[in-house]
Amino acid sequence: MAGSGSIWRRALTVGLVAGVAVLYLATVGLVLAFAERSFVTGVTSFGRVILAIPPLAAGFVIGSRAGSVNARLAAGLLAGAISGALLAVSLLFASAVDIRGVLIRVSAPLISFVAWDQDAVTGAGINLALAVGLGLVGAALRIAPRSVRMPVLAAIIGVVVMSLLERFLRPRLTELDFTDVARFLYQGGGLTVPAALITFVLVAAIAVAWSPVRSRVQRAAAGTDAGQRSTIRAVLIVLLIGALLYLPEVVGTFFSQVLVSVGLYVLLGLGLNIVVGYAGLLDLGYVAFFAVGSYLTALLTSPLSSLGLGLPFWVALPIVIVGAAVTGLLIGAPVLRLRGDYLAIVTLGFGEIARLLFLSDALKPWLGGTQGILAIPDMFGVPRIELPILGVISGPELTYYPLVLFCILAIFIAHRLKYSRTGRAWNAMREDEDVAEATGISTVNYKLLAFAMGAGIGCLGGAVFATHLESVFPGTFNIIVSITVLSIVILGGMGSIPGVVLGSLALIGLPELLREFAEFKLLVYGGVLMVMMILRPEGLLPDRARQLELHEADEEETGDDDSLAPSAPRAAEPTPEGLT
Amino acid sequence: MRRPGRLSLVDIILWGLRIAIVVGVALGSWATLSAGRLTGAAWSDLIVGGIALGSVYALIALGYTLVYGVLLMINFAHGDVFMFGALTGFFVADGLAEAGFLDANPIIGMLIVLAIAALSSMIVAVVLERVAYRPLRRAPRLVPLITAIGASLFIANSVRGLYGEQVKAYPTLEIFAGKINIFGLEILKTRAIVIVAAVALMLALYWFVERTRTGRAMRAISEDKDTAALMGINVDRTISTTFAIGGLLAGAAGVLYAIVFTQVHWVMGFVPGIKAFTAAVLGGVGNIIGAMLGGLSLGVLESVGPFLLLSGFGVPSPNQLRDVIAFSVLVLVLIFRPYGILGRPESR
Repeated sequence: MAGSGSIWRRALTVGLVAGVAVLYLATVGLVLAFAERSFVTGVTSFGRVILAIPPLAAGFVIGSRAGSVNARLAAGLLAGAISGALLAVSLLFASAVDIRGVLIRVSAPLISFVAWDQDAVTGAGINLALAVGLGLVGAALRIAPRSVRMPVLAAIIGVVVMSLLERFLRPRLTELDFTDVARFLYQGGGLTVPAALITFVLVAAIAVAWSPVRSRVQRAAAGTDAGQRSTIRAVLIVLLIGALLYLPEVVGTFFSQVLVSVGLYVLLGLGLNIVVGYAGLLDLGYVAFFAVGSYLTALLTSPLSSLGLGLPFWVALPIVIVGAAVTGLLIGAPVLRLRGDYLAIVTLGFGEIARLLFLSDALKPWLGGTQGILAIPDMFGVPRIELPILGVISGPELTYYPLVLFCILAIFIAHRLKYSRTGRAWNAMREDEDVAEATGISTVNYKLLAFAMGAGIGCLGGAVFATHLESVFPGTFNIIVSITVLSIVILGGMGSIPGVVLGSLALIGLPELLREFAEFKLLVYGGVLMVMMILRPEGLLPDRARQLELHEADEEETGDDDSLAPSAPRAAEPTPEGLT
Repeated sequence: MRRPGRLSLVDIILWGLRIAIVVGVALGSWATLSAGRLTGAAWSDLIVGGIALGSVYALIALGYTLVYGVLLMINFAHGDVFMFGALTGFFVADGLAEAGFLDANPIIGMLIVLAIAALSSMIVAVVLERVAYRPLRRAPRLVPLITAIGASLFIANSVRGLYGEQVKAYPTLEIFAGKINIFGLEILKTRAIVIVAAVALMLALYWFVERTRTGRAMRAISEDKDTAALMGINVDRTISTTFAIGGLLAGAAGVLYAIVFTQVHWVMGFVPGIKAFTAAVLGGVGNIIGAMLGGLSLGVLESVGPFLLLSGFGVPSPNQLRDVIAFSVLVLVLIFRPYGILGRPESR
């Protein structure tokens, strides 16, 4: 029974962690914030989904331990029970003692929500029973063969996504005269029961069908030659661009606005990706470039600014970009001899200095102080444009189309740079600065180039931002912007261009579907940074070279393990507990 | 790296910056002093205030320096550990004040507040190390830094969610009100208390690091982690201890900060955290005496600087720009003397 002693201890630990996680989610306010957001109408709300995740995950984690099926199931049950017991005890405690003075979210509504609107003792019992069940289900899911587990997980995620899309799909379907479909899918702010079931079955079926399809596609792809592959890629890119142009028509005005924010952060992310991902320079003051771009645009285009030039946007833009790149050089030049972590802090300092200066009374005559600069003209100076294919363009679409153009341009530049001589120099520099220097790469020049490129793209984002909002305020340009862009780059994967797009969609687009979430955005960004760095530092859509680089150490370690004990899996090692 | 005899673009920019700073500082101070805008008493008040603030920075800076010494990483979340202590201190002080204990035994009461705040910060720091940093010991250098930034956001926003985002005011104490006369200088009592407490803590830390076994283990690890492990030092435990001590000092600093400023809230960790880091670098990261001196000089510079350097130029509301001074010090120190006042250039 090797390891059977340890699986119980493990269950104890995992259960405790899950219990603490549940209590944290409840007391930090997430549960109550989502209590009103219906998941499947009449069945459950997102608040309950949040409460259910930790015990389920605990069971899942335990299920991956070595041991007999029964032992793993029992351990999953135990982990769930511990997590549920912790919640039950806390519920009893919170309903007996008023702790709102310290933990402000532990209010009567939260307590009655967690207790399923029953009295405390019954509620505690329900929670305990549920957590036991969830722990068991989690373990069972993990033990089940992959062919079962994957479709089930995919189906669960599919239902969650479908339910989240309510905010977007329901009004949009109604708008497009699919009222019946909208009513069938969504009611009372959540999925209807039949719609949830259909989604579940459908996604599961697709997931089951997926693996044979994938292997066939892979086989077909292996048969193609380089020329065919590049043709396929070109076709795909054209299709993608066509879809992007058509997108505002599909999603409607409100979500076009969201697309503009996502696009803006894609642009910023691409810029920071060059600095952080390619050159390996952690810039925590990226917002400074964004701010400089915005303010330069405002100064040049707004008739109310201190310069009062009132230039058209497209005349101002080249000046802004050149100005930005020069700023990048001036800021970069003195600091680029610093080591990586010091560089991060210095750029952070620059970001804060920029913000404080924009805010200060001292520069008010030029930059407008706290009032900022108003009356920045539209990008085209007219409220609507008629184009041959796209039809009438107005509102956020006026920003969207140029933004798509800028993003494509930035992606093109980033992609070309990555595989150029410059890109290889950055790569070398990031891996080992001294060696790069020794092989004849002028590290300072390449660092400056990366900084200037990042600054240019960041300023472009700032320019679009300023003309989109038609005003600039110093309060917008705080460290949070830098951290958000950094989170986007980290989540997607440092050095990965698709990663930036995915990161922006997840961190900027998704919160729009979850308005309840706004208050917890930064909490989640912080969590994302931590979890990604610990569990998957290469990001969700990793860049190949970067992935290999980050896992160099692991490979060496496993290599050592193999050479020492080729056939001794770690999990089966007898532990001290197992021996006694 | 530098090629002697050739002046690159970067060198020219650096020299331009040096000259601009010297000229700016000289002109600004001369203009202010010759105009005689502030009286001698006002200057000494600014300086004492700066020392009090600086000693709080020094306490936080010690946490940065200790951690940097053993792990070579910037614990970006340290400012939030400080914030956590200040907030926990608030709840304890508030509870004691409501029970009437704080008015009856103000000194014991405040010591209890200090102790609990320090302990809570210590727990946060140790948990942080165990959960977030330990798995990343061997990772490339930027990885733990990014984790620390994430941790900083996470702690601050957790506190916001758990305890609410409103500003909380510490209970005021009779015996802390008013001024005290030391060597003919009128000093606010709160400032005197903060300075004395901070200096006592720093002396205790110095003794701990220099004279105890654990302190010696910490110094050994900061010299060479692998060799220290070979000498039988429990590296994991010593690193935990380092975080614990840093946390204790930060928690105490939180309460002292609250005694001076009376108000605490969830974002208060960020700016003092950065400034304390500046102080640590100013004194030479990894150097304990340096962190103390760095903290004190940064506090004074930040307090006196806006008036001395800026009001001479007729800048409106110079005090708005005190953080600009602090951050400029950070940037300039890192550019021109990244090894600090007391440090020596390293070849790393």
